[in-house]
Amino acid sequence: MARDLRYYTLYGLFLFLLLEALLYAAIHWWPAFSENMGALKAMAAPLPMLKDQITLVDKLGAPAYVVGQHYFKACNILGTNAAVLFAANAIAGEAHRGTLEVWLARPVSRLRLYSERFGMGMGAIFLAVLASSLTTPPLLRTVGARMHAWDLTLCSVYQTVFLGTFFAFTYALSARSGQPIKIAFFLLFFAIAQFAIYMVKTITHYSVFRWADIETFARIVATDTLPWTRVGVMLALQAVFFGIGYHWFRHRTP
Amino acid sequence: MQAPSPPTAPAGGIRTAGLCKRFGAHTALEPLDLTVEPGSVTGLIGPNGSGKSTMMRCLIGLVAPTQGRVWVDGVPLTGDGLAIRRRATYAPGEMGVYREMKGQAHLDWFLRGRDRETRRRARELASELGLPLERKVGMYSHGMKRQLVFAAAMAPDVPVRILDEITEGLDPSKRTQVTDVLARESGRGTTVLLSSHHFGEVDRVCQRVLFMQAGRLLEDTSAAAMRDRAARILRVSYAQPTDAAAIEQRWPAALGPRCSRREHTLVFELPSQDPRAALEFLAAQAETPREVRFGAHTLADLYQDLYGVEGT
Repeated sequence: MARDLRYYTLYGLFLFLLLEALLYAAIHWWPAFSENMGALKAMAAPLPMLKDQITLVDKLGAPAYVVGQHYFKACNILGTNAAVLFAANAIAGEAHRGTLEVWLARPVSRLRLYSERFGMGMGAIFLAVLASSLTTPPLLRTVGARMHAWDLTLCSVYQTVFLGTFFAFTYALSARSGQPIKIAFFLLFFAIAQFAIYMVKTITHYSVFRWADIETFARIVATDTLPWTRVGVMLALQAVFFGIGYHWFRHRTP
Repeated sequence: MQAPSPPTAPAGGIRTAGLCKRFGAHTALEPLDLTVEPGSVTGLIGPNGSGKSTMMRCLIGLVAPTQGRVWVDGVPLTGDGLAIRRRATYAPGEMGVYREMKGQAHLDWFLRGRDRETRRRARELASELGLPLERKVGMYSHGMKRQLVFAAAMAPDVPVRILDEITEGLDPSKRTQVTDVLARESGRGTTVLLSSHHFGEVDRVCQRVLFMQAGRLLEDTSAAAMRDRAARILRVSYAQPTDAAAIEQRWPAALGPRCSRREHTLVFELPSQDPRAALEFLAAQAETPREVRFGAHTLADLYQDLYGVEGT
């Protein structure tokens, strides 16, 4: 367990540093909204979805910009990649390097082995997203803007639930397979395709990123509450993926 | 009428009843009834793919049997076999390691769920085997990795140990060290089920030998009986295969059964360790043998003659 904890701590730390670097850059090069909004809208005009996002930023100001940069852009892209990579290697990686048998042969139940890495992976994602989010208020002060830590915490929880669904799905596949690289490629291409679909207005509703876009996070900030229906659906999906994955893992032959 | 009580295994022993494993259409293990007495050291011999590892994995709960039941130390195999893995250690035949971990840390990792005293014993045993625990496992040779697994499997104070080809890849001196430890263990009353391709070590440490082939148990005998049988084997080679065939035709059944014929060579199992009657018969024939060997059979020779499978 100590080995797993060390690795997931490192993974989480790495994700935190990436998110933090992007957040710092986004705030350091703070856009003068009043001067640039016209140009931004003109630039986004050919992409209606992007134009809508810019309009939202124009309407809501700093919070929309922050959630757009930090959650919609950085966490969705890097977080999805991280969730996929953390999970793809979790069990399939053991089979790939030939350590599955010794991993399972110890006097530890399969449920415990399965749950521990699941929990650690989810924890690494959550802590990385939350920790980087909570550095936003002090960073914003440097540009004379502000956001509440509570709003950012709620957004982090929601973002983790969203990324956790990717994680749980990938983890289930990892429980069945011995090829972590194939799983990771498959899921990464899926995520990229979903992000691309998001930008096309006629098919945007087929994108899972509709559930983690600027509008969603802006609403969380505005209402100070989570969209419980969506959270419930995603948690239910995670439970289903966890159950299916555990079923596969329990019957897995080394 | 009283219902028959369910079968069980004695504490410290291993028992299977109709244990069978199929992978799709392939039967890896035919239904097997086996009892390993507490405190005995039993050798499991068979070629690759004979079902040894599958059987051991079923015993330890790593592979769910298709049918049949298993008891280890009196505890039935249920769920994922955790209750059995607490009472038995297992050293897998095919294994990978975490190359980035140091030997000491890896040993502790193997022993998760065991107490501190077990980790201390494992370190002691690893030192006895000459393993550099401060070095990364990635720097270890294949044999050293095997010894690390062996140390982890031997350290816990459990009644049963299941060791799959534990000496594979070890040089002769290390193999002797490992068999020394096994011999010491057998004196302590621990039940050991050991699979191997090396007849020498089986002969040395096992009281009982099980021969497996194609998922079936071919023979279940004591090591002493196998040695006695090996001592009764007469091997006769001729220059021409036709000579061997002619002798085979004329061989009287009373002199003992023929075990095998491979072109020039005939192998007979004599009823006693006195070969005189057989030698007199051979001397009376027109065909002159090129070579006659008696009493020089090893268990490996015997296994090859009986089952046509090579061992070392």
